[in-house]
Amino acid sequence: MIYPEPRFLPCGDLAVSVELADEISREANARVLALEYLIQQRRVPGITETLPTYRALLVYYDPAAVSFDALTVALRALAEEARPEVLPPARQVELPCCYGGDLGFELDAAASKLGLPPDELSRLHAGADYHVYFVGFTPGLPYMTGSPERIHIPRLVNPRTKTPAGSVAIGGVQCCIYSVESPGGFWVLGRTPARLYDPAASEPSLLRAGDTVRFRPIERTEFDAISTDVAAGRWRPRIVEVSLPSGERVG
Amino acid sequence: MNVLVEDAGPLTSVQDLGRLSQLRVGLPRSGPMDREAFVLANRLVGNPDNAAGLECTLMGPRLEFSDARWVAVAGADVPVTLDGAEQPKWTAFPVRAGGVLRIGAARAGVRSYLAISGGVATPPVLGSRATYLRGALGGLDGRALRKGDTLPLGAPAGGGARRVRPDRIPTYGDEPSVDTILGPQDDRFTAAGIAALFTGSYEMLPQSDRMGARFKGPRIEHTQGHDIISDGIALGAIQVIGDGQPIVLLVDRQTAGGYTKIGAVCSYEIARVGQLKPGQRLRFRRVTVAEAHAALAARRAALETAIA
Repeated sequence: MIYPEPRFLPCGDLAVSVELADEISREANARVLALEYLIQQRRVPGITETLPTYRALLVYYDPAAVSFDALTVALRALAEEARPEVLPPARQVELPCCYGGDLGFELDAAASKLGLPPDELSRLHAGADYHVYFVGFTPGLPYMTGSPERIHIPRLVNPRTKTPAGSVAIGGVQCCIYSVESPGGFWVLGRTPARLYDPAASEPSLLRAGDTVRFRPIERTEFDAISTDVAAGRWRPRIVEVSLPSGERVG
Repeated sequence: MNVLVEDAGPLTSVQDLGRLSQLRVGLPRSGPMDREAFVLANRLVGNPDNAAGLECTLMGPRLEFSDARWVAVAGADVPVTLDGAEQPKWTAFPVRAGGVLRIGAARAGVRSYLAISGGVATPPVLGSRATYLRGALGGLDGRALRKGDTLPLGAPAGGGARRVRPDRIPTYGDEPSVDTILGPQDDRFTAAGIAALFTGSYEMLPQSDRMGARFKGPRIEHTQGHDIISDGIALGAIQVIGDGQPIVLLVDRQTAGGYTKIGAVCSYEIARVGQLKPGQRLRFRRVTVAEAHAALAARRAALETAIA
């Protein structure tokens, strides 16, 4: 549920977690993003940095510039106003994804676990819109949900130690794209040639909290061609801004 | 205008005060584990606080200077020699062109800091020269120094024979008590679990690094499982998973995670954690937010009078 009043939870001497709900939902996340957006717009004194997650906003502050009590008063007032309607238009990002084979090396195993033909699993996965709640854990990694219930699957019992960057994977209700090579406990269905994290770019993360992601299935030849273009700096994914009625933004 | 790395040491990296405004894309701030020692080293050689220097781990590097500079070493208790002659720590001293500076093995503490007048001038990445090893970002090509590397230096802005007051030089060999604030998930622990945290003595384990320090000690008991809805991880957060043992998350920590955090070590105590050797013990001391802010203000004020 969404709390009637935000909870202010100290996180050491320089940060406070503003917790708005105890659930993973588009509504709770939209409020978190709206609170962060209002903080940026109003330039609340003493706040040095913010970090949104599913249902909480971690707010870093300088206690020499603002007291804990004054900070929570200011944040409480902003949280009242933090509604999805205040957010700027969301972005829709289309990411090519090559399913199965050696890039999607757990598609067959995941399909068998779900009792589905592999083609049906990739079709169901690519047919959904994925909402980016936030980016983190490793640089550029999106925390997403949106997959149809038929393909919800328990996480791997034995997480692998290395997952290649670009791997598109599912676990539980979530979908993620590994942004750098890292350990992982999700089932890898495919790989995108898009670069999720590029430290040389002015915006190092391709995706932002609030984005909607859609996967476009591609063959291996197109994967290789796009990979070549990505390496040469010649390729960008298709990104459009969409202004939806506020009722459709969440839910 | 540069420094040749004749020997790098096991883990020597370029750091400045860190990278801001990138948590939201999953990049931690990085920067020095012992911020006060780092800042004092910079001030000793006449640098701005944020000038880039080197963080050395346990064993320092051997460096040859191409031009004359002022340098200072602060932090862990390490032997420092210039062309074979022993040099004082927490004190600025001059290096001639061609001089060879050597930082040896830490006798107490873990991390020592070398500041060089003019600062290390590797290209900033996303507004900072701090190295984030896991993200292969910042510093020298996003990695630790290696033998044969050349570090570019900035233009020196002066320097002089400054030193840190002897009564302000920390010692690292004891069992420190670090100020700790409860939250955000202290309500997921039993009263006995919270009491264990604040009365027990915890030994640091070897599997500790700039990302986090693992400890072993009295079990910190949960009321229910250790999973939470993933949320942001603040500097110093004390994560406790199913085994009831604490992990203190540090400057290169993951930005978000799905495990309970019983409390957080205060920012001004992170240096004490970063200077602990594996096998050394530490205690967590419970403070309120107000007490922590008073202590932080006192520490900041003391820093302003630390250099004679």
